[in-house]
Amino acid sequence: MSRSYLARLTFALVFLSGALLVGCKSQSQSADNSPTPSAAAQTATGSAMPVSTPVSTPVTSPTQTEAAPVQAVPTKASQASAPPATPAPVPASTFAGIPDVDPHKTRGSKSAPIIMETFSDFQCPACKQLYMGTSRQLNDNYVATGKVFAIHRDFPLPGHAYSRVAARYGRAAAQLGRLEQVEQVLFENQEKWEQTGDVDGTVASVLSPADMTKIRALIKNPAIDAAIEKDLALGRTYAVNQTPTTIIHYKGQTYPVVGIVSYDVLHQFLDQLLRQ
Amino acid sequence: MMQSSPLNLRRTVVLLGRLFLGATFVYAAYSKILHPTLILHPWFAFKFAVQANLANFAGEVETFKFVSAANAALLAHTLPFIELALGLLLLIGWRVRYWLTGVSLLLIVFLSVLTRAYLLHLDIKDCGCFATPEPLNGMTLVRDSVFLAAALLCTYCAFVEARKPHPWTATSSS
Repeated sequence: MSRSYLARLTFALVFLSGALLVGCKSQSQSADNSPTPSAAAQTATGSAMPVSTPVSTPVTSPTQTEAAPVQAVPTKASQASAPPATPAPVPASTFAGIPDVDPHKTRGSKSAPIIMETFSDFQCPACKQLYMGTSRQLNDNYVATGKVFAIHRDFPLPGHAYSRVAARYGRAAAQLGRLEQVEQVLFENQEKWEQTGDVDGTVASVLSPADMTKIRALIKNPAIDAAIEKDLALGRTYAVNQTPTTIIHYKGQTYPVVGIVSYDVLHQFLDQLLRQ
Repeated sequence: MMQSSPLNLRRTVVLLGRLFLGATFVYAAYSKILHPTLILHPWFAFKFAVQANLANFAGEVETFKFVSAANAALLAHTLPFIELALGLLLLIGWRVRYWLTGVSLLLIVFLSVLTRAYLLHLDIKDCGCFATPEPLNGMTLVRDSVFLAAALLCTYCAFVEARKPHPWTATSSS
């Protein structure tokens, strides 16, 4: 190549470096040693992914309307049969510098070297894929073996008509220790209830009538909504702008991962983290 | 001594076109390789982030339903690097006409796939074109058509100009 081409190559490299710098500025970088969300985990700002659901993208289906999800609201009969004593939501606490950790929404050993916070939306198809394809194996091989402490975060997106209702049910079920069943049934039947709005019926299909009465009473507790709001606020401090987003904490470093990650890719990464 | 301007209309079109298309292709590659998860260090974390991004892109390709899942993964792991290479080569400006031909062919493929998905009313929530999520709609097709028209025009101009001696070299040899 002649000198003019070398000059052009230099120009192109400078251009590329500039573009990368501009991009990186708003991207995540885990240089912060603090595991708190303040600055440690900055997630991508202008992200893309059809598989994951961006906050700003309203996802509508032909049957979704802006009306309240009628079928998700408990009936008068069920309200009447609710027992007077329902478990009060347990206050969240700070764990390893991570605020608002609800012990009912965690899995695994607190002494696990890796902490994974997953911001998820029950109505988001990508969250379903992550749950079905990755989370189950992760639970078996890392959470159950004490390598990962998993924290579930609610991040209901405004574009999803029934996300908030599903999050309420999920959180209420967590208070009863039934999060796993409810999470599973909600994700497995996502296509059905997102069309009909029948979150209540979907959850009721795996829980006992007694549990359902407690859950129906719990979801009316303002503390449930407040807890969801806290998760949303925390997500915003991490700059979460789409679901699923997983924040991996390890030895003071944070690694924000946006979208679906296959188990094969994730387990290689976790193994390498543990070898550090 | 230089007696004529090296920039006639066609050369100007090629220059502006290759800079525009080159930058667009580099940005498109960046959007797929380093977005939305970006972890720069350590190396294994960077590699993981790139793998995660490409896996996500493979999921996007799958939604177009024109290749199998395995081929979508293969495509997702090669296409961004082809885009990056073409973009850089256009920015460098070496053998532009060949790379412009490649870009034109690639854009024809893109436009065909997008048009097919649009006509089949596939539920594409993000075309996967750039970092910003955008559902497939008419505007996406219009935009890609503009890119293709620009690429074809530049390719034509580049081939026409390649037949003539460059003004600088022509001046020095005469």
